[in-house]
Amino acid sequence: MNESLSEKTLDTFPKLLLSHARLRPNHDAIREKDLGIWQSWTWSETESEVRALACGLASLGLERGDKLAIIGDNRPRMYWGMTAAQAIGAIPVPLYQDSVAEEMSYVLDNADVKIALVENQEQVDKIIELKERCPKIEHIIFDETRGLRDYDYAFLHNFEDIQQKGREFDQSNPDFYQQHVDSTHGEDIAIMLYTSGTTGNPKGVVLTNDNCIITARNGIIREGLTDQEEVLAYLPMAWVGDNLFSYAQSYVAGFCVSCPESASTVANDLREIGPTYYFAPPRVYENMLTQVMIRMEDAAKIKRHIFHYFMAHAGKVGVSILNGESVSLMDSLLYKLGNILVYAPLRNVLGLSRTKLAYTAGEAIGPEIFDFYRSLGINIKQLYGQTECMVFICSQPDGEVYADTVGTPSPDVEIKINDNGEILYRSPGVFHSYYKNPEATASTKTEGGWVHTGDAGYFDDKNGHLKIIDRAKDVGKLNDGTMFAPKYIENKLKFFSYIQEAVLYGNERDYSTAFINIDLDAVGNWAERNNLAYSGYIDLAGLPEVYQLIKECVDKVNADLAQDSRLGNSQIRRFLILHKELDADDGELTRTRKVRRNFVAERFEMLINALYSDAEECHVATEVTFEDGRTGMLEADIRICNAECYPLKSSPQEAAA
Amino acid sequence: MSERQLGDTILEVNNIGLSFGVMKVLDDISFDIKKGEIRSIIGPNGAGKSSMLNVINGFYHPQEGTITFKGETRKAMAPHVAASHGIARTFQNIALFKGMSTLDNIMTGRNLKMKTNIFWQALHLGPARKEELENREAAERIIDFLDIQAIRKKPVGKLPYGLQKRVELGRALAAEPELLLLDEPMAGMNSEEKEDMSRFIIDVNDEFGTTIALIEHDMGVVMDLSDRVVVLDYGKQLADGVPDEVRANQEVIDAYLGVPHE
Amino acid sequence: MTFFIEVTLSGLMAGVMYSLVALGFVLIFKASGIFNFAQGVMALFAALTLVGFMDEFGMPIWLAIIGTIAVMIALAWVIERVMLRHLVNQEPIILFMATIGLAYVLEGLGDILWGSDVKMLDIGIPQGASDWMLDTFDIYIEKLEIFAAATAATLVIFLAIFFQKTRIGRALRAVADDHQAALSVGISLHTIWVIVWSVSGIVALVAGIMWGSKSGVQFSLSLIALKALPVLILGGFTSVPGAIIGGMIIGVGEKLAEVYLGPFVGGALENWFAYMLALAFLLFRPQGLFGERIIERV
Repeated sequence: MNESLSEKTLDTFPKLLLSHARLRPNHDAIREKDLGIWQSWTWSETESEVRALACGLASLGLERGDKLAIIGDNRPRMYWGMTAAQAIGAIPVPLYQDSVAEEMSYVLDNADVKIALVENQEQVDKIIELKERCPKIEHIIFDETRGLRDYDYAFLHNFEDIQQKGREFDQSNPDFYQQHVDSTHGEDIAIMLYTSGTTGNPKGVVLTNDNCIITARNGIIREGLTDQEEVLAYLPMAWVGDNLFSYAQSYVAGFCVSCPESASTVANDLREIGPTYYFAPPRVYENMLTQVMIRMEDAAKIKRHIFHYFMAHAGKVGVSILNGESVSLMDSLLYKLGNILVYAPLRNVLGLSRTKLAYTAGEAIGPEIFDFYRSLGINIKQLYGQTECMVFICSQPDGEVYADTVGTPSPDVEIKINDNGEILYRSPGVFHSYYKNPEATASTKTEGGWVHTGDAGYFDDKNGHLKIIDRAKDVGKLNDGTMFAPKYIENKLKFFSYIQEAVLYGNERDYSTAFINIDLDAVGNWAERNNLAYSGYIDLAGLPEVYQLIKECVDKVNADLAQDSRLGNSQIRRFLILHKELDADDGELTRTRKVRRNFVAERFEMLINALYSDAEECHVATEVTFEDGRTGMLEADIRICNAECYPLKSSPQEAAA
Repeated sequence: MSERQLGDTILEVNNIGLSFGVMKVLDDISFDIKKGEIRSIIGPNGAGKSSMLNVINGFYHPQEGTITFKGETRKAMAPHVAASHGIARTFQNIALFKGMSTLDNIMTGRNLKMKTNIFWQALHLGPARKEELENREAAERIIDFLDIQAIRKKPVGKLPYGLQKRVELGRALAAEPELLLLDEPMAGMNSEEKEDMSRFIIDVNDEFGTTIALIEHDMGVVMDLSDRVVVLDYGKQLADGVPDEVRANQEVIDAYLGVPHE
Repeated sequence: MTFFIEVTLSGLMAGVMYSLVALGFVLIFKASGIFNFAQGVMALFAALTLVGFMDEFGMPIWLAIIGTIAVMIALAWVIERVMLRHLVNQEPIILFMATIGLAYVLEGLGDILWGSDVKMLDIGIPQGASDWMLDTFDIYIEKLEIFAAATAATLVIFLAIFFQKTRIGRALRAVADDHQAALSVGISLHTIWVIVWSVSGIVALVAGIMWGSKSGVQFSLSLIALKALPVLILGGFTSVPGAIIGGMIIGVGEKLAEVYLGPFVGGALENWFAYMLALAFLLFRPQGLFGERIIERV
């Protein structure tokens, strides 16, 4: 009874904060590593920081419905900015901190941002540069003072000054804060998150307090999370996942969130914090595994033998043990020994010793990577989610974890699949609207509250889990009518550690072809072990031996595809290795590192033409952007290689022969 | 860089002459450095730039001339006098304590800021411990300032070149110097690293008001950063003035700038 | 089996003694790159001085120890003044020769001051077998040896903290790493040398006390220095843990070799086993067990 009452009344983030400050005042709410030491703030300290900031924002003129942009790395002050805005009915809009000024200006303008809370000089400079184009921005508040001493602008404020102003305001208006918090409601807008769509301008997803809080709570209940969890907030604040895991769920469950010292120290901070609850995109798990493997190759012989022996044993029984299945006594004892010698130290190095629950999502994860972590005893699970519903659509229940599915629907989520294979869902998390974009809202969210995911998939017959193949619009057809699911094949390719990125083409063509990006670390290491000399990325990518290595990977994927009667004809006939890494700065990837297939196709049109001809080589010149923003030309001769294609398993001709 | 108000003279060298045997390395060099400025010494290879820094921080003892630092005139400096009076430096070929971590290198830079005697040090107790903590905090501020948190515990010998240069700057900064001597801080760096380093130099000058004497090859960098420039050539002083004056000086153009360089 | 354990343990304890001498070497080598041939003689000199203070001046033990420490510090100061200061930047071999000279001077000085007869040193370290070990494990082991091991352990922990966590420790390492850079941050080389030789003198005193208590203070004590050489080759010249573990390996190795192999090769194996082992190491792992591998980064 009481519980449901409190759930009803605690329907906004500022209300949740007040309640934690009362219920667990001395429990740590947020931590940050600064000057080499973890500094922490309890819930009651957080409450007073947020209160001062909220009053300060109000005294700067931020009112109900106004937008506060938040731009910076994961920092306590940035998170406080969210709650402070929410407390006075304003709406926080976190932005990707590594966006260039151009990208930022659209969002700042589209979102009608009035005040920007930013981390440092870098961001201040960007916004000052944009200010003329975004006249709606009235004030900028910065956290770090470094380099800003000589900036003399009336609209620029120090975070601490604003808080001080807020405290004075609070003194003279003692009821202001409480009254405003009391007047926030579950159906009010809590936050706007811009999605970095693969085409067109980003869209502002408007989420209400109910969307966020109910979804967060459902996730907590499903996984049995408590206020004792430890979480590392290291993914961009503008991304819905960070907002769920590091903000919404922390506020609902009351657990502590830690902010890393800097982007470059995340691995170390992870080890120090030892999160119990962890999220990472597949890429991060892949990188960690690659690092471990490279380190093991360099280790002493004995160490390497022990490692490989016990990893093989873990591969045999580890997953079963984690799934709670019974294994023989001998295997179980050997696993326990392995745990002392290898698994536990390894988990510690990875920073995952205390992890009860690790999620991954966003892309498909390689089965052997997935199994590697699970066999170590780390409970890594896949989930399927979108910004439009505050993440959760599906996740894998304990004991039912498979590398190729995304699990069963999350609590309160309904799923249906329409005629062209697209997945639709309905849940309490379903977003309010796209900001100032009724057409897009209407086309995504149907009258019944069903949301088009744009993903194609089906429920697996064996286990009833949802399986995602590809983006619905990306699923095309070869000229012979075979279904062409590029992402599905790309993922199969990317599961090889040598392949960093793959881009498949084939829609409305005679056959499939692929662009490959090699993984510089893995292939470079391989080349060194095989005594191959190379001077850089381009050189490495062009080596005949590397082509042979990649060809073997492509051949394996083809053999795999040949097993599938629906996709078998989309085997890769020809491929090439690109001379440059696909890069977000060149627009080839989105900020979340997804390939923009059509953009890449236009940019390398010559290469595509060559792939669909008999050419064995193609000269290409590409304009590239360096990290400092300058541009230059990159030229290379790229070889094109034919891959092995296998007869379809169920092909009738083959059966006859 | 806008015109800035320069402070009083902090260092003045007068008629410095330095020879090794018959070789005259510096011949009648005179210039001054004012509080808060970025002062560059430029010149072709072998012009005597590094020798000049070595004279200032006491590694070399000139045969002629005087050095006046903070009002005190000497025939020559000694390294520990220079260090204890607020002169810190970096080296052209990086002279870090390679076996030690980044943090320990920077802590060593605070050597003169730490006073407790060997007795307390030996016991690692009482005042020594407190002092250690205070200085650790100062070192951490520098680590934060230079954005090198990720290599705090790494032995510096294994770091890439650009980072080593940064750690060396950190060690010099740790002494909270009044005058910072930088010997080719950007040598061997790529353009991105150079940009970072320029940023740090400007920030050091801005944030801490540190006076900086800089030797650098990259003319673009020198002209951008410096308040005033002194030009040496074969141990002789060719010119001295603000970047625009120096750029316009015919002798300098002939000897140095006129020569096309990479 | 008991016998094997006894031999091993007694080897271990003897090894600790070697370690103590080797430790003094390592300290000086690390900080100044000097191979101090006089380390063994310093142990002898310290022990002689201690006995002298106790016997001839009738000082109580604690005062005699403090007095000896003062003498060792003064000695370090004199060495820096008279010897090191004038040899800055000289070839290592010249510095090494200088320490040979130092060894003779110290030996002579000890002889002149305190005489050349064998002296007993008793500073109250318990003697005889440890009853507890005998009762519980049925193993015979000297109390002195246990005491020596404990002292060595304490000393090493103390030195490790001193080197890692204090300003002076860092300064010592800095000087070892790069003289010029050390000067530029205001470290005085002279002070550092005095400190390092003092510390090493104190370590020598400890070694001298242990050996002296065991077999009397006599001039053959300085010959232990020679045993420390293989220890250093084994452990690496720059590693404190290397000196400790190297000492133990040599100690155990030579005792076991003497007992189990001695009969086959006609005995006296104990005298040259250590050198054989060192030779083998020089061939296969010249940097020693813990020494820094010499890799130049280009």
